Amino acid sequence: MRTKTFAGAFAASLLAATALNPAHAADVTNERLLNPQREPQNWLLHHGNYQGHRFSLLKEINTDTVKSMRLAFSVALGGFQSGGRYASGALEATPIVEDGIMYVPDGWGSVYAIDVTAGNKGVFKWKMDPGTDRAWAGDVACCGVNNRGVALWRDKVISIALDGRIFAINKATGEVVWERKIAEPAIGETLTIAPLIIRDLAIVGAAGGEFGIRGYIEATDLNTGKMAWRTYTIPGTGEPGNETWKDGKDRWKHGGGSIWETATYDPETDTFYQGIGNAGPDYDIQYRPGDNKWAASVLAVSPNDGKIKWGFQYTPQDPYDYDEISEHPIINAKINGEDRKLVVHAARNGFFYALDRTNGSFIAGKQYTDELNWTPGLDPKTGRPLNYDPNTDIQIYAPGSHGMRGQPSVRTCPTNVGGKNWEPSAYNPQLGLLFIPSIEGCNTIETLEQKDMEDQGGSAKWRERFTGGSAKTVQRLYGSLKAVDPVTGEIKASLKMTYPNYGGALATAGNLVFMGEPDGTFGAYDAKSLQQLWSFNTGTGINAPPITYSVNGKQYIAVLAGSRQNVNIYGLAPEIKNMAPASMLYVFAL
Amino acid sequence: MKIPTKDAIAPLRFTSLALAVLIVPALLATGAARAQTPSAEEARLIEFGKEIFKSKAVCQYCHKWDASGDQGYGGNALSLRATQLTPEQLTEVVKCGRPGTGMPYHDRFAYTDKRCYGYTREQMGKDIPPAGNDFLSNREVEAVVKYLFARDVGRGPATYEDCVDFWGKDTKQCDPMKPK
Repeated sequence: MRTKTFAGAFAASLLAATALNPAHAADVTNERLLNPQREPQNWLLHHGNYQGHRFSLLKEINTDTVKSMRLAFSVALGGFQSGGRYASGALEATPIVEDGIMYVPDGWGSVYAIDVTAGNKGVFKWKMDPGTDRAWAGDVACCGVNNRGVALWRDKVISIALDGRIFAINKATGEVVWERKIAEPAIGETLTIAPLIIRDLAIVGAAGGEFGIRGYIEATDLNTGKMAWRTYTIPGTGEPGNETWKDGKDRWKHGGGSIWETATYDPETDTFYQGIGNAGPDYDIQYRPGDNKWAASVLAVSPNDGKIKWGFQYTPQDPYDYDEISEHPIINAKINGEDRKLVVHAARNGFFYALDRTNGSFIAGKQYTDELNWTPGLDPKTGRPLNYDPNTDIQIYAPGSHGMRGQPSVRTCPTNVGGKNWEPSAYNPQLGLLFIPSIEGCNTIETLEQKDMEDQGGSAKWRERFTGGSAKTVQRLYGSLKAVDPVTGEIKASLKMTYPNYGGALATAGNLVFMGEPDGTFGAYDAKSLQQLWSFNTGTGINAPPITYSVNGKQYIAVLAGSRQNVNIYGLAPEIKNMAPASMLYVFAL
Repeated sequence: MKIPTKDAIAPLRFTSLALAVLIVPALLATGAARAQTPSAEEARLIEFGKEIFKSKAVCQYCHKWDASGDQGYGGNALSLRATQLTPEQLTEVVKCGRPGTGMPYHDRFAYTDKRCYGYTREQMGKDIPPAGNDFLSNREVEAVVKYLFARDVGRGPATYEDCVDFWGKDTKQCDPMKPK
């Protein structure tokens, strides 16, 4: 079994033919977004390509040369003002680069266009500040003041702000051409996702799975600035899957299923694959008997009309907060002599999954985390947890692995944050390896009885947390980088890391993997052995995925740094407790 | 060795008699204090405490802005509006955290000696609470406790005015609480 290479010799020949000099920015057309491998000097899409590979053909920086990589320049951004529940904003964005101009947002939604052509400094071209109501939006952000990136469409930059707005910005001037409201903080909704552009649509979804929302995916028609469609991730009355909410009290209306990381898209079948967040309330499953579709799932969706083609639920009735919003890379492979179209996922629940992306059927699954105690494995036919009981409305899974009312979990592995949280994996198609940045360790869950929301006669109010309990850190967590065969899930190489990963990975044709860590370490790793070949400490925590681009034929690696780590990390890692937040772009080159 | 847990920390263990002795006078004292206009220095300290509650120690992340308690990623945090702790006891909890729970300690030297509940880090073992977002000086702890007793402890549900006092007028944050 060998995986196919998306970017083949054709792309390599185009690389030579493509002008590498920064030119006047051309329109970002559908054709260009479908073929980013033709312009490896740019980083045009959130995940590098629609298939979610975060892989670059650039290889000036490679396993031989990386030892002489150095800091080329850094740029201080803004956006770490306090707001709502947060003392500062955070940086989680993947920068976009087109023809020597970088487009990147801060946590509060300001977008910066930075000219990086000089190679020894970044020059601000413009800044667009959306004037986010920080207290209003920040009070209903579950986990930080985050914005995971912008997108390019024709001559516009498409961005979002935490307070629920989407913007079309003139790429040349930074002027807002139009904006529209999508998510509503008044009912606990926010936007943190980088928009996915498919043709003339921008696809995003609402975050707020800890605030009693009913999640949705929504497309905006970029020509009109109006809604094209909205598809709820939690099915309503009469829709397939609604029968998996068995409470009889319409609690699906607050069923969670949030969206906060960009989907992958398969142009071959014109389908995008959206990971769906945890059910609401997170931990009190006695509140929501049944499987609770489509929480903790992946949905295959038609971009034209938002129709769901199929769904696959990773953790039915998820009692662990195993939110599966993270990326679903698209890979073609030969299995037993047959060409198969796969969509794969390193799940927060600790398993790696390979599904047939034409119909959602299960192909393979394997544990990738060091510890996993909630189920002994996956059914080889269905991919369901082996201890899933179809005859009960309250799943026990491994006794003591999750909380029940009045009975905290004994030990939950992986922890409620995963496994793998949102931080994206990277896939090197030339080596056929998927690089998973993981979070390792266990914690406990203390379940509380969730009160009904006020619109259903209860005492829980809009904008209040709706989690049915809490998780508790009981041991120091750590991280891993794992190189996995994406067809079988077999771990080919593994590297233990001091801190859990929250930053995401980049893979390059130079056979390198780049990743940032919570203690500010930015490292380059040999893609085959995972040995660290180079590192630089930025002095402030890294929660964002790196990218690479080139200007005048010279390759650069860029990453945002400056996030304050959460108590899950520093609570038991006192050596990084006093690291201050910052708001920095770092760029490296040979 | 008996490890103190959230149910068995000496300062938090009350009999009903002790409750009557300790808390009623404390509430009365609070009520009396509220009736008086705070001195300029007290008012400054209360505002300073608000800033610590809001931003430096980010107590509001877990306890909510009105200190009414919350759940979620911060832990199951108790209501400070309904707490029966005295200022002295609350000061100890802010400094030392609550063993066995997610309530962090804010005294930089907590558990390096026996200043907190008579226990060192080693003796506390796995029940040691997490370290706070930022450590606080004695003056800062005094301020945040003063703020809590001035604005939250012993009060009923927060009002629109309380909300505006906390968040200011440049946000929609208090609109849902506006009297209709």
